[in-house]
Amino acid sequence: MTGRARARARGRPPRPAPPPPVAGNPPVPLALPGEVGERQQPQRINVPPQPPREPAGLGRLRGFESVLQERRPEGLRVSSGLQDLCLRDRGGRRRDYHDLGVNTRQAMVHVQESKTGLSGKMIKLTSNHYRLTSRPQWTLYQYHVGYSPEMESRRLRSALLFQHEEHIGRTHAFDGSILFLPQKLRNRVTELFSRTRNGEDVKITVTLTNELPPTSPTCLHFYNIIFRRLLKMLNLQQIGRNYYNPGDPVSIPNHRLMVWPGFTSSILQYEENIMLCADVSHKVLRGETVLDVMHSIHSQVGEQGFRDTCAKELMGLIVLTKYNNRTYRIDDINWDSNPMGTFRKSDGTEISFLEYYKKQYNIDIGDPKQPVLISQLKKNRNVEGTVVLIPELCSLTGLTDKMRSDFNMMKDLAIHTRLPPEQRQQEVGRLLDYIRRDDNVQKELGNWGLSFDYKSVAFTGRVVQGEKIFQSGNMVEYNPQFADWTKETRGVPLIRAVPMDNWLLIHTRRNHDVANTLIQSLYRVTPSMGIRMSRPITIEVDDRTEAYLRVLQQRVTPDTSIVVCILSSSRKDKYDAIKKYLCTDCPIPSQCVLARTLSKSQTIMTVATKIALQMNCKMGGELWSVEIPLKQVMIVGIDCYHDTVTGRQSVAGFVSSLNQTMTRWFSRCVVQSRGQELVDGIKACLQSALRSWSKWNKGLPSRIFVYRDGVGDGQLNTLVNYEVPQFLDCLKSIGTDYSPRLTVIVVKKRVGARFFAEIGGGLKNPPPGTVVDTVVTRPEWYDFFVVSHTVKNGCVTPTHYNVIYDGSQLKPDHLQRLTYKLCHMYYNWSGVIRVPAPCQYAHKLAFLVGQSIHREPNLMLSDRLYYL
Amino acid sequence: MEKNFQEEEFAQVIKFTPPLYQQRYQFVKDLVEKYKPKKVDLGCADCRLLWMLKFCSCIEVLAGLDISASVMQEKMHTLSPLPFDYLQPSERSLTVTLHHGSVAHKDPCMLGFDLVTCIELIEHLEESELKKFPEVVFGFMAPSIVVISTPNSEFNPLLPGVVLHRHPDHKFEWNQAQFQSWALEAARCYDYSVEFTGVGHPPTGMENVGFCTQIGVFVRKYPQTGECVQYEKPTEAVYKTVFKAVYPSLKDEKYLRNAVVSEVIFTAQNIKHHLMSKHEYDDDPERKSKFQPSVDCFSDCLGKLVVDKTMEPFVSGNEVYIPLATIFSFPKVNQLCGTFEKLCKLIAGKVTLSSDGSAVVFNTEHE
Repeated sequence: MTGRARARARGRPPRPAPPPPVAGNPPVPLALPGEVGERQQPQRINVPPQPPREPAGLGRLRGFESVLQERRPEGLRVSSGLQDLCLRDRGGRRRDYHDLGVNTRQAMVHVQESKTGLSGKMIKLTSNHYRLTSRPQWTLYQYHVGYSPEMESRRLRSALLFQHEEHIGRTHAFDGSILFLPQKLRNRVTELFSRTRNGEDVKITVTLTNELPPTSPTCLHFYNIIFRRLLKMLNLQQIGRNYYNPGDPVSIPNHRLMVWPGFTSSILQYEENIMLCADVSHKVLRGETVLDVMHSIHSQVGEQGFRDTCAKELMGLIVLTKYNNRTYRIDDINWDSNPMGTFRKSDGTEISFLEYYKKQYNIDIGDPKQPVLISQLKKNRNVEGTVVLIPELCSLTGLTDKMRSDFNMMKDLAIHTRLPPEQRQQEVGRLLDYIRRDDNVQKELGNWGLSFDYKSVAFTGRVVQGEKIFQSGNMVEYNPQFADWTKETRGVPLIRAVPMDNWLLIHTRRNHDVANTLIQSLYRVTPSMGIRMSRPITIEVDDRTEAYLRVLQQRVTPDTSIVVCILSSSRKDKYDAIKKYLCTDCPIPSQCVLARTLSKSQTIMTVATKIALQMNCKMGGELWSVEIPLKQVMIVGIDCYHDTVTGRQSVAGFVSSLNQTMTRWFSRCVVQSRGQELVDGIKACLQSALRSWSKWNKGLPSRIFVYRDGVGDGQLNTLVNYEVPQFLDCLKSIGTDYSPRLTVIVVKKRVGARFFAEIGGGLKNPPPGTVVDTVVTRPEWYDFFVVSHTVKNGCVTPTHYNVIYDGSQLKPDHLQRLTYKLCHMYYNWSGVIRVPAPCQYAHKLAFLVGQSIHREPNLMLSDRLYYL
Repeated sequence: MEKNFQEEEFAQVIKFTPPLYQQRYQFVKDLVEKYKPKKVDLGCADCRLLWMLKFCSCIEVLAGLDISASVMQEKMHTLSPLPFDYLQPSERSLTVTLHHGSVAHKDPCMLGFDLVTCIELIEHLEESELKKFPEVVFGFMAPSIVVISTPNSEFNPLLPGVVLHRHPDHKFEWNQAQFQSWALEAARCYDYSVEFTGVGHPPTGMENVGFCTQIGVFVRKYPQTGECVQYEKPTEAVYKTVFKAVYPSLKDEKYLRNAVVSEVIFTAQNIKHHLMSKHEYDDDPERKSKFQPSVDCFSDCLGKLVVDKTMEPFVSGNEVYIPLATIFSFPKVNQLCGTFEKLCKLIAGKVTLSSDGSAVVFNTEHE
């Protein structure tokens, strides 16, 4: 991912100047120089430059020097960022998943005092956050440990230092260079003498470098390390970033799956407190080895296409091995090799895999002719190269896309993984119970002077007013509790119904009847929507991709309004070919329908209704609207699609509103190969979006709201320092007298926070429209949570909105309301969704292009929702 | 182990390949392969040898003892079961325990072991501890085999940089005669036989200095005279347990039940699919030829079974019945359960059965 690469690159020298003092920092007017060099980003706008993050292992000493040089007066240390933070987790590479040290709120004056809204009905909530408390006057002492002569091995450094436990105490955290202690040593500089087993005398100098208050970012990282220590003490198994309890697995024998219950956790500084956010996580493991899977693939597809299917199903999956506690990603399958092949050991001797596993782990490999798996080691771990794995010794984790699309399997899984609110909170409570009951854990916590509140935080949220849905001048009454108006809008004419004239219906001979059923049903459902429909030109084809394409080439004319294809199977290649042709070479909206979907007589009317609506949107129709009080506004939604299989392509979908009612959307997308900058393409999108907007509205928007989805953990810094300036720069280039108010909001669906409403003595999901902007938000951000949708079973996940740039000066109330309104505007779902509609549209577009089309669709289509 | 580290440095001059510490560990491993002890106890330091031995399939109990808890703690997590061990529990049971304590003290948790190894241990003992050591190991623990290794001081002149001892913490280093006389005395006293060997061959022409590491393998002469010897003097626990890992094993009913239920349902589903697809694909002879061996053998297996009419799976209305007897005849299920009764007992309440309990029932409706 390029964003990460950039974040890494930015972590390297030159070291930017320390951030300006926080207090009373006046908003710097936007003084953008006309020409912007590509890579010299920061210090251009009123977002203060951020300290570089991710000091790599080698940068440790450098980091230390900077601490000494830049020691700040007491009060300012909280904002000192992460440059003095180098403590590494044992064995792992440190990454800042929590975007610590990105302080965006300080630049937004209008939310400096308060970022909370007022409107709506109060609601009592609890969450899965638990306060971390420390002793009064708690301080963490940070020491630098130097060795003379220099010692290279981290283990040796630790061993030499720990010979002096009588001096430094038994409670410590040491990464080979930085030592954290819960108490202060007598002297600022302590010299200790050790002797290595070679008889070499070593002088160890322990120097106090920092006294850290509990809220310092360094401490936060330290808490997380200590917490992971605790989880290990509780005998939980680490897989990836989370911890699981293998002692209590749930097996789902129907699908050969095993589910391990576990926890995700993070400790962060929230609005008023440092808190642990703990959530239930489930690891799906598979009781079969990669070899078993290969066997069953073989039995399904036969010799032909066996290798291709294996590659398709296995590549990109994560495996666990039988002999060590590592996870590997399958990057390739080597069919020309097998376990009888040899490799060179580190001592230079040649050994076969069979022999090696026998000798090293006493494992007999049963099938000496199986192919081998190749895993690419990550470049940034200092080691580069490939690892060869034996399928028989690898067990799969997680779900494949194929499994995800297996309805029965997901249903069986959901029973175990989708916990209702009450039960979910109980499970999290169990983790806290483990912590409270385990003596060793309590001792460790006590030694550091830390403890937890074992009751989750309670606070009040607000449920904002439900939105009115308008369709053709009628207001639709619906129950906001259900966040759905499917029933209520049935039989109500659409805002803009595009007539279905001159349209094609392509099907195979076998699906002749199904096609007729579809036509008949459409005739029945369209009149009440106000759609005028004429009989389609129906064409019969052979069930081959080429046959479909030939018909399209021959029969589609520029006057064709839409093409409907009835497909007999969900074979992706056929779908891809049709979509590719009709989105690029011959830009006509298209609708593919699976014959199976139309074959059930009970549901055909519902299905036909949905198809009619979807087709109408694809042709430029409008379904419903909500009240948008802001005028002269353009809303932008951005989401990304990353090709996980080949890892080569990323697609950014860009969608922007075209009219006041937000019923029409302009779209573009950026297809970029690895190493290219996403934002350069997005700039071009923004420019053409503004052009289109001005065509539709005779002028330029005075406010632009960008909802940016698809931002990975730890990428916030890049966004703030690079993407936002580029947006501003782009707007600047439109004209000297043009200065719209830009607001950029990062949308995050995958968050650890869960909210529970206390209703009738039990815990329930909070109702749609619940807004949370206190207690569990972050003080350094202008952020809030919105629960906009409902779920049938399990817990609702709130969506996190982080306003990283706000020139709108809008009150938090208004921004929250606008966001919630936009969640009502997704035309593929007659209800409220989890994210603002433009984000979901952008997601759909990026997905279609990334999965099927692989290049930017024809711009002729850009004012319609053809990607639905 | 820093000692390993140090000897690798020596290896630059006198080259041991593989490194000497590995040779020592391999020596123990070979011994384990040879005598197949079920219970092994060791002075463990960084747990590396324990980690190697946990893969030996004969061992069911591994215990480590060290005087330094922090050294053990540093690497003890490597002895925990892996996720894979939970996914496919092994046949044997294995428990790994680490104790913090001294070999100069007796603790009942050390009783009943087959093999005790003391690799590079005795030279770290103070004189008083060394005196108590034979009584604790040979007299009290009294395992069938004891392995003791220690540096051979005659080799030291060949190692550059060694002035007095190979390691500053060594209290003594013995020559061959000293070690052998100590060992023979201990063996005589506690009725063991002892053989001397070692690892790390001396350079050619200097064979008389002996192995770099000298090893004594002690074998108890007479079988255990009964438990009374062990428990005549009940001893109080003086060691502190710092780590304990019980590996998932099919010997544990919980894991066995999971494995059996999972295998039964999987097999039954396979049979069901086979049955259903036979209905669908009867007209497609092409398909059959594409089956790969493993599936062929599956249908073979099924073919052989259904000779007996009562074992034939059948469809009745929306339900598919797969007789347990059929499932039991599949090798994997058979191997897991052993007897048909056991199969019935293990899946009771976990798998939907027909009213008379003789067949697994699936409903075909929701598919």
